[in-house]
Amino acid sequence: MRPNFYLHLHPPTIPAAQARWRYTLGAGGTAVFLAFVLLVTGALEMFFYIPTPGEAALSVQMLTYTVPFGGLLRNLHFWAAQWLLVVSAVHLVRVVFTGAYAPPRRFNYLLGLALFVLVILFDFTGYILRWDQGIQWALVVGTNLVKSIPLLGEAFYQILVGGAQIGAATLIRFYAWHVFGLTLLGAGVLFWHIFRVRRDGGIAIPPPALRTQRERIFHFELVRREIAAMVWVGSALLLVSIFVPAPIAPAITEITAAASETHAPWFFLWVQQMLQWGDPFLWGVLAPLVVLLALALIPYALPQPAPDELGRWFPKSNRMAQVLLAALVGLVILLTLLAIGSKV
Amino acid sequence: MPAMRWTGEMSQITRRSFLKVSTQALLAASGMLGLGALLRYLGYQASPPPITQLDLGPASAYPPGSRTLLPDVPALLVHTEVGFSAISLVCTHLGCTVEPTPQGFACPCHGSEFDPGGLPRRGPAEKPLPSLQVEQDAEGRLILHVV
Repeated sequence: MRPNFYLHLHPPTIPAAQARWRYTLGAGGTAVFLAFVLLVTGALEMFFYIPTPGEAALSVQMLTYTVPFGGLLRNLHFWAAQWLLVVSAVHLVRVVFTGAYAPPRRFNYLLGLALFVLVILFDFTGYILRWDQGIQWALVVGTNLVKSIPLLGEAFYQILVGGAQIGAATLIRFYAWHVFGLTLLGAGVLFWHIFRVRRDGGIAIPPPALRTQRERIFHFELVRREIAAMVWVGSALLLVSIFVPAPIAPAITEITAAASETHAPWFFLWVQQMLQWGDPFLWGVLAPLVVLLALALIPYALPQPAPDELGRWFPKSNRMAQVLLAALVGLVILLTLLAIGSKV
Repeated sequence: MPAMRWTGEMSQITRRSFLKVSTQALLAASGMLGLGALLRYLGYQASPPPITQLDLGPASAYPPGSRTLLPDVPALLVHTEVGFSAISLVCTHLGCTVEPTPQGFACPCHGSEFDPGGLPRRGPAEKPLPSLQVEQDAEGRLILHVV
């Protein structure tokens, strides 16, 4: 048979230990499924969305309230996007807490981290595309943070915003990044990431000589589990999208007039909390980059997980990485809660 | 006469490695040129530069003692016995519009507070809200200098 990508990902049999729900949580596969849902719903949204400052919020309102199934479509896109961020984070936590990033999977860990950053950028640019009073300050603060970078900030700001201040050029650039630039990058890195999973020997488990379980599952069983996950996640997504609407706010009248929403989008609340402490560059740019760098260095700078301990949760050998990640996750959650609790 | 054989240092470099290095150098130079062009392309300001002056209409529209919010600047225009003055309402921290409060101004985004004169009272903002220059032209119209 001709080799193809589907067969690359679905060999005739794989060790049963590689496909246990309680080990993988199905997080990576779910993320791929959600990305696919986002691609399809996003493409359909493009038929109604008009990326100009005067029309954007109105076209989102039309899509939401008058287009048949438009509201459902938008809710599906919104919830799939939020879940993708959560599921990607769960996938990252799973990989670190099981030590699955150990060589030869270190590079694929970095590819995964790059995808995580891309998902955050996707969520932020998509949020901005609403171009209503709910996103106004997030856009102003986000772009001014870029400007706060020493030396290069001004140039980055102009490339991002398309002028000396926010306007039509900004919206079309965010639109271009969201629907094309990030999609192209994301698709490339996603295929590479999935390709490397099999290249690196599939999901991380001990090498053959150290395996205690010999059980294997057939290709058919793997596909059955994948379909089961898609049906469950898809149903839950549909249910939530039917009953919980995606946020929407009145159109912006003047970009500088008081806006209704002063909170950052939920995934940046922890940064908003830190920004209250002072210097924008230090807390708004460097601090998040330090967190990212710490995550990237986990497979390179900390003690390696032992091969015989792979394939299960919390191996003793990578305790340091578990503690570091738990501390980072705890910190982000704590800051987020503080931001929700504070009035500003 | 036997063929002359040149034995200078250049012969240390084989033809193959010379071509390889040249190719790499040319590719690198082309890449840098392309990158430079891309940066210039992306850096072009598509939108017109922001306005620097704003005509606020006849000065008589703002009686003494009035405090007028100009939301599209955004600024607060104050008319006292001393004359007209204006204060920018763009927070000096990260650019949200500050809101007038009994104690001065407060930023809704990161909690900065300013006194009525625009001086920072509480962080994270460190710089005062800038005063904007206001003048009357010959016809008695108020001109606000935005920058």
